[in-house]
Amino acid sequence: MLNGLDIEGDSLLHRMPVRGKLALLFLTAILLFLTSDLRILVPALALSSGLYLSTRIGPGEAWRRVRFVLFTVLLVAAANYFLQSPLEGFATFCRLSTLVLIAAAVTATTGISAFMDEIARLLAPLERLGLVRAADVSLAVGLAIRFVPEILARYGEIVAAHKARGLPVRPLTLLVPLIILTLKDADMIAMAIDARGFRRH
Amino acid sequence: MTTRDIVLIALFAAIMIVLGLLPPVTLGFIPVPITAQSLGPMLAGCILGARRGAISMLLFLLLVAIGLPVLSGGRGGLAVFAGPTAGYIIGWACGAYVCGLIAQRFVREGQNEIAQLAAFVAAAFAGGVLVVYLFGLAWLSYATGNAFLPAVIASATFLPGDLIKVGIAALAGRAVLAGYPLLPQRA
Repeated sequence: MLNGLDIEGDSLLHRMPVRGKLALLFLTAILLFLTSDLRILVPALALSSGLYLSTRIGPGEAWRRVRFVLFTVLLVAAANYFLQSPLEGFATFCRLSTLVLIAAAVTATTGISAFMDEIARLLAPLERLGLVRAADVSLAVGLAIRFVPEILARYGEIVAAHKARGLPVRPLTLLVPLIILTLKDADMIAMAIDARGFRRH
Repeated sequence: MTTRDIVLIALFAAIMIVLGLLPPVTLGFIPVPITAQSLGPMLAGCILGARRGAISMLLFLLLVAIGLPVLSGGRGGLAVFAGPTAGYIIGWACGAYVCGLIAQRFVREGQNEIAQLAAFVAAAFAGGVLVVYLFGLAWLSYATGNAFLPAVIASATFLPGDLIKVGIAALAGRAVLAGYPLLPQRA
């Protein structure tokens, strides 16, 4: 029920390693904030739109994914346009939109499992210091995704229980049983995990 | 960190996802629709405490970053962190930590109801509103050059909704403490 936002394909970005894509994203983020020159920023925006569409995402889906963030970008750019200078407004718009489109392109071309592998690798130095355990992070991610349908079903039950008693569904009478019932499962799940020896020390 | 802590953290991140799937509510007297998801950091801090609460928010942010559409409205992916409002959601982790610290320090199980509730309100307000706005506005003003004052004014439209959420989180925190106390068992 929870599907990732990645799209299958074999474009340039699809074939790039995850680490390369993330490095590209961070590097452009830094570079974009160093300049306010529209002669650089406008081509950068065009390039990033091209990159985003080259993932074969399709214009409709492409727009649906970034429209909310682009709307906030537009608001911020408008504030700069009127309060600073029109030039600064355009620069802000180009800079932030470019970044948003590249980030969306990375997301569209990277699967959840590829991302998790890369995260495990990035956590390795921290693991050596004894700060985190990569296996625990993967376990937590898996558990969270696994239990969403369960909690959603429980939410439906609580709403039904309200209706059966003729009570209005209020946030508080909904949240408290939802949280208590969900977190009470923690003991059972933890015991099941330990019984199967998933976390060897 | 025990297995139980990891499970609690993961389950809370899952609750956070479910909160984002619920339709936003519009209250008659506030123009901005209220999404349940920003209740998350306050609830995490009030219920799980500082450390586990903050980690469950970090786990949720990780799920967003790896491209699951788990933010309210089905948003997700790295684009969210590139936008001008990224500071607010990054502030959730720190907000949950501050909220948890205050709740752990001032909430005792034997206290009377009013004192507990007051402590939870203070915790949820400091963590879920002050800290989150601090991060949100700092990032916004960095991303925009310096249109700081209009940003403050614009974000004030969300303040009434957030104050209602502080109340809800405090009441829920107290009810969960009464029903299934997790806060005092510090991990």
